[in-house]
Amino acid sequence: MAARLTAHDIRHRRGGREVLHVERLEIGPGERVAVLGPNGAGKTTLLRLLGAVDRPSHGAVLVDGRPVTDVDQRRRIAYATQQAGLLTTSVLRNVELPLRWRKVPRGRRRVVALAALERLRITHLADRPAVSLSGGERQRVNLARALALDPAVLLLDEPAAGLDTQSRTAFFADLDDALADRATTVMHVSHRPEEALRFADRVVVLVDGQVHQIGTPEHLNRNPADDSVAALVGYDNLVPARVQPDGAVLVGEASTGLVFDGAAGPATVAVFAAGVRPSTELRGLPVRVERVSPGPGHCVVTLNGAASLLAHLPVDTVVPPVGTSVRVVFDPALSAVLPSGRPTSRGLKASVTATSQDS
Amino acid sequence: MVEPLYEVLSRSAVVSLSATAIAMVIGIPLGTTLALWRAGRRWLLTAVVNTGMAVPTVVVGLVVAMVLWRSGPLGHLGLIYTVRGMIIAQVLIATPLITGITMAAVRQLPPELPDQLRALGANRGQLVVRLWLEARLPLLAAAMAGFGHAISEVGSASIVGGNIHGHTQVMTTAIVENVGRGDFDAAIFYGAVLLGLAFAVNALLVSVQHRRTAWPRD
Repeated sequence: MAARLTAHDIRHRRGGREVLHVERLEIGPGERVAVLGPNGAGKTTLLRLLGAVDRPSHGAVLVDGRPVTDVDQRRRIAYATQQAGLLTTSVLRNVELPLRWRKVPRGRRRVVALAALERLRITHLADRPAVSLSGGERQRVNLARALALDPAVLLLDEPAAGLDTQSRTAFFADLDDALADRATTVMHVSHRPEEALRFADRVVVLVDGQVHQIGTPEHLNRNPADDSVAALVGYDNLVPARVQPDGAVLVGEASTGLVFDGAAGPATVAVFAAGVRPSTELRGLPVRVERVSPGPGHCVVTLNGAASLLAHLPVDTVVPPVGTSVRVVFDPALSAVLPSGRPTSRGLKASVTATSQDS
Repeated sequence: MVEPLYEVLSRSAVVSLSATAIAMVIGIPLGTTLALWRAGRRWLLTAVVNTGMAVPTVVVGLVVAMVLWRSGPLGHLGLIYTVRGMIIAQVLIATPLITGITMAAVRQLPPELPDQLRALGANRGQLVVRLWLEARLPLLAAAMAGFGHAISEVGSASIVGGNIHGHTQVMTTAIVENVGRGDFDAAIFYGAVLLGLAFAVNALLVSVQHRRTAWPRD
């Protein structure tokens, strides 16, 4: 299947420094891709280059194999920036304006704009001045304005930025509904793993302007390419470890309960907080309970000793009191072993395409 | 010969309104370009524009007179001591002011707005027109400031126009002339009429601003 959106060896320099380099990135028609990365990783820069807001210092962005250089080709992409950038007119006119630029007849404009507002459940805002909207309403209008264009490619830069958790959930649910019957290719930038992983068919992990990994959410969860990817996808604990020739993974001299079938040598163990379990046997990492606090549906336990760890224990677990020495092991289903020297983005870049995943 | 008041008044209005209109045609696009320009040397042009806003009108009049003087580089055009020559001088006076205010007006728009408009498919013309509409209130203020500066200045009008009765005399030069003659009653009368003209033009622009600002309440 031919790629809908292609970034071909794009590099971007700012202030004499290369801030982004993506060797090759291909996204298929109708595919949803999330770009995950910490602040300053180059996520917005990547979106601005793909949306033809900025020109790359080197390389090309293609839509259906044609470079995005003229206005007509640029108009196949709709890019909703992080700040809504609404105009000081009514909501309806905000949504209609880009359609007018595309010479859509007046009557048709109105119908399309109202349908876009309807899809995001904000028809009641149509006649309101955009300056009077709340943050959440502004984000929805921003999205409706982009959706009304029925673009081949939709780029969303932190579309729910500034919203509380409940509003974010509702926003993404409505976005899912709005895109349900469309073959629009969507690229969505986020620094929140729960949003990136939930919304996307594939996730691009960007760190320091370099692609560190591309894969399905499940693949990234199970096989993060390196420490930075593991931290970004939500692993709470990254612990220096050693893989023994028999595959046993030790932290110091203590067993983690994990067995790794790769090469022996130094490694990092990535563990979700929910994967840190009290050991009922004598084996396991000796740690001391430093702090216990309630969390949503679990207890948050801070441990220190053979390693500094964060554990989430079910509320029905008998939590040892603060100051107690305990042993813990790691749940293999919620852990990953990252051997040191594993290829990072620099080694992966050449194989980053729509059809390949690192392993 | 004493020229009828309405002729002096209408000449003042024609010279200053024409100069303001031309200065807007030059200054608004120039100010917008400077505001959107991301190159490193923007500060230099900004400094030039700001300096232009502070140049005394007599200096502008002197320079324009030297250029339009019969022996000057554009002397063959015969513009010295003409209304057209006065308009040229006032354009040079109003343009930096309008450029500077436009630059500030466009820069005070939300910084993400130009990128968002480009991202939604605006071409260069559509982008600029939309930014002007967003900055319409400060742009009207720029027009008012430019007109106010032009109609109230006396230095270049005297030097380039020569205050010739029935030909290039405007309200400000008429006031100066009457004060010079010791006829303060006439000078005060001209001053009051000039003030009235300035008020009428500004009131018109403010009423446009007011209408543009009003939003229907829910």
